[in-house]
Amino acid sequence: MGKLYNFKRSLWVFHASGGSCNGCDIEIIAALTPRYDAERFGIKLVGSPRHADVLLVTGAIPRDFADKLRRIYEQMPDPKAVVVVGNCGTTGGVFYDSYNLVGPIDEIIPVDVYVPGCPPRPEAIIDGVVKAWLKIEKLEKQLEGKE
Amino acid sequence: MNFTLLSPSGFWDPVLWLIFLILFGIIGYIIYSRGNPSYKPNTEQVKPYLSGNVEPSKEKIMVRAGDIYWGFITALDEYYVALKRMHTGDLRDYILWYLGIGAIILFILVGGV
Repeated sequence: MGKLYNFKRSLWVFHASGGSCNGCDIEIIAALTPRYDAERFGIKLVGSPRHADVLLVTGAIPRDFADKLRRIYEQMPDPKAVVVVGNCGTTGGVFYDSYNLVGPIDEIIPVDVYVPGCPPRPEAIIDGVVKAWLKIEKLEKQLEGKE
Repeated sequence: MNFTLLSPSGFWDPVLWLIFLILFGIIGYIIYSRGNPSYKPNTEQVKPYLSGNVEPSKEKIMVRAGDIYWGFITALDEYYVALKRMHTGDLRDYILWYLGIGAIILFILVGGV
């Protein structure tokens, strides 16, 4: 894995849950508990995609939620990255090919990091977010180069 | 040359005012220049986050001043329906009302005698 060089601020994460069973959502919250304490690195959950650098998506995506997810992604400022947490969002999981689902998520919005698991452990989620962080740092440098 | 205007309640100096205007302009520009350069106007990025839902039109969600009287108007609905029917917006109708009511008042006062 690469190293973070000069990302100048903390990383704000927005969590969008589609048709999740909440297993992955609970593991995301577990990553913020004192045992893992991701917030000490400046990684924290925010309440609006307009404030977020990273979009965490959990669960398979129901038909009605697809346009909402697309809108949430579009509302995030650049540079941004998307992390899919769990098997359902990654491949459809046990709901694969269901009549009421669209996706997997990478057919709706561009995905940068996949964290498979049912549910994945908090360590895996933190690892996924750090990978997204590295990607955002690269994108930010590109944006600075364009100025 | 002295530009300062002294008055019992204070003073007014246009040179000082200009210096502060330039100073605040520079501070404003510094804050503006530190903004996100990749910000895209006229896209979803500038719209409010409503759980991913489309933003309804302002007319649909705005609470108008008239809405404050909603309970009052609804409770007296029948009275307002009758009043609205009388208020046709036609000046000739209002003159007819004026003459009609005037005739009734005259009849009461003079008594038709």
